[in-house]
Amino acid sequence: MFLTRSEYDRGVSTFSPEGRLFQVEYSMEAIKLGSTAIGIATSEGVVLGVEKRVTSSLLESDSVEKIMEIDRHIGCAMSGLTADARSMIDHARVSSVTHDLHYNESIGVESLTQSVCDLALRFGEGASGEKRLMSRPFGVALLIAGVDENGPQLYHAEPSGTFYRYDAKAIGSGSEGAQAELQNEYHSSLTLKEAELLVLKILKQVMEEKLDSTNAQLASVTKEEGFKIYADSKTAEIIQELKESEIDED
Amino acid sequence: MAQTTVASEYSSEVHAEPIEHRFNPYSDNGGTILGIAGEDFAVLAGDTRQSEGYSIQSRSMSKVFDVGDNILMSANGFAADGDALVKAFQNQLKWYHFNHNKELSIHSAARLTQQLLYGKRFFPYYVHTILAGVDEEGKGAVYSFDPVGSYEREQCRAGGAAASLIMPFLDNQVNFKNQMDPSSNGTKKKELRYLSLQEVVNLVKDAFSSATERHINVGDALQIVIVTKDGARTEYHSLKKD
Amino acid sequence: MVGKDCVAIASDLRLGSQSLGVSNNFEKVFNFGHVFLGLTGLASDVTTLSETFRFKTNMYKMREDRLIEPETFANLVSSTLYEKRFGPYFVGPIVAGINSKTEKPFICGFDLIGCIDFAKDFIVAGTASDQLYGMCESVYEPNLEPEDLFETISQALLNAADRDALSGWGAVVYVITKDKIVKRYLKSRQD
Repeated sequence: MFLTRSEYDRGVSTFSPEGRLFQVEYSMEAIKLGSTAIGIATSEGVVLGVEKRVTSSLLESDSVEKIMEIDRHIGCAMSGLTADARSMIDHARVSSVTHDLHYNESIGVESLTQSVCDLALRFGEGASGEKRLMSRPFGVALLIAGVDENGPQLYHAEPSGTFYRYDAKAIGSGSEGAQAELQNEYHSSLTLKEAELLVLKILKQVMEEKLDSTNAQLASVTKEEGFKIYADSKTAEIIQELKESEIDED
Repeated sequence: MAQTTVASEYSSEVHAEPIEHRFNPYSDNGGTILGIAGEDFAVLAGDTRQSEGYSIQSRSMSKVFDVGDNILMSANGFAADGDALVKAFQNQLKWYHFNHNKELSIHSAARLTQQLLYGKRFFPYYVHTILAGVDEEGKGAVYSFDPVGSYEREQCRAGGAAASLIMPFLDNQVNFKNQMDPSSNGTKKKELRYLSLQEVVNLVKDAFSSATERHINVGDALQIVIVTKDGARTEYHSLKKD
Repeated sequence: MVGKDCVAIASDLRLGSQSLGVSNNFEKVFNFGHVFLGLTGLASDVTTLSETFRFKTNMYKMREDRLIEPETFANLVSSTLYEKRFGPYFVGPIVAGINSKTEKPFICGFDLIGCIDFAKDFIVAGTASDQLYGMCESVYEPNLEPEDLFETISQALLNAADRDALSGWGAVVYVITKDKIVKRYLKSRQD
């Protein structure tokens, strides 16, 4: 039988002769269509920033949720098919709360990320007879930010189920430019304040619309305060601050 | 129920009555355990006699275990359940290391133990469990559990057959209950203070020799395990064998 | 509890009906001359027996023209209890005193049908007996002076009673020497 490439496309967990899983690769393409999300880890905490695509003036911008709380000490930003993130975040919240119940301690950021990534592969049957939960891989990537006994950490979780830890990471449509800019600007002694400004500065560069507090959202995770999504008024203040610093530079 | 016909020696007498057989899944293997927390150490001690009814099965059966991560555990009561609980705990601890790649703290160990015990809420481990270790601040810690997982952190706790004999002694000698400051003429309670390791070991020895004197299921030898941030070490002392 | 030329006997003050506390001034120690009797158990039997022994010791005094000695009294208790071998008084009695002739301390205890348990150190009875055994076995030492004996028996009783839900609500201690009897009430937890 002659197998065309499109036949490997059909089975989500069938390798192509070159050793590729096309559906998983395509799922990562879906993320490149998503809105930009940026995370920066500093010694004081982790900052997350996302672009919200407000596609119509009639759209209530508060209803676009791209940063969510997982637990007091962990939050995440997403890019891609954000609807898929719901089940991942549900799973993450359950993992976190269950860990607290079992061990009377907060779950580690890496452990939490691992448990989310375990779920990412459930589009196929598990080796030990686990049910196939989904018809296709997730179409969303997460930036998981958290603080535990090892300090502030930032993880990037992909639909392929792999995850890496980053000092700073950008995902989504503007990720290429944003990642290059992060490479230039990141240094290990960044303060939380500087990271907030840097996130907004890069978002401003890669976004098509003009940056304001309705189409961008910030959040941070610190040891003291835990996870906090910034109020629009606070985001607006930081945007203002950014503008002023840019004027100074000119 | 099946009707069974029982024929007596008098073959003419034939009874037709049901005979009930019932398997009892539990037994009491005696023994007693005792945990005391100090300022930067904790001790968990137990006698080494294992008995069933009036017969002694072993005079040298340890029941205090160093389960890893500087945690001592003992589950006293029905020995088989106690062993099963300790094994289940050690298994869970391995998985914790695989999954989280760090040491299990004593307060997490306590919660885990509760989960293991409550997991068998309707067919419980028939044991009184005590955990001992050093907490994240470096202070000695003792946690005690009922058979279904209700737990509490305490300065000291006796468990098992002679718990009722030892516990009031501990109240008096560790927490200074009913003791007054001698200079206050009975107006002020004696102030709490941490006991030294030597004082604690002496109390443990006194508690066990007293319990041995009055309780038939306690005796033979005393195993004392001492845990500090630097690890655990075991001492053995003999008790009366009668 | 036996000391050097002295004995002590103590009881709590609680009277209860299962978990319900009824009274906090129910003394369980009675004296017949220089002999002391502690009675725990069913309150009606405690009262009945103490009255019976009052009667019997008074009869003894009239017939013998002297006070009953502890050893003699112990045998009186034993035979009185055994009379009711198959319908016993539900009590746990203990006897303490100093023999006025030999000046030797004497203590003993009984089961509910009168089997005597002679001891040279201490005797315990009641709902907190396990706790009392543990305390006494560890804090007791022989040949204590009266004041030290008082402290020892008090600590033993107080700490044992605090670990028993059915005991407590105050306590009373008698320290008996050959020519003096000191009775003290102890303040204790009221729960």
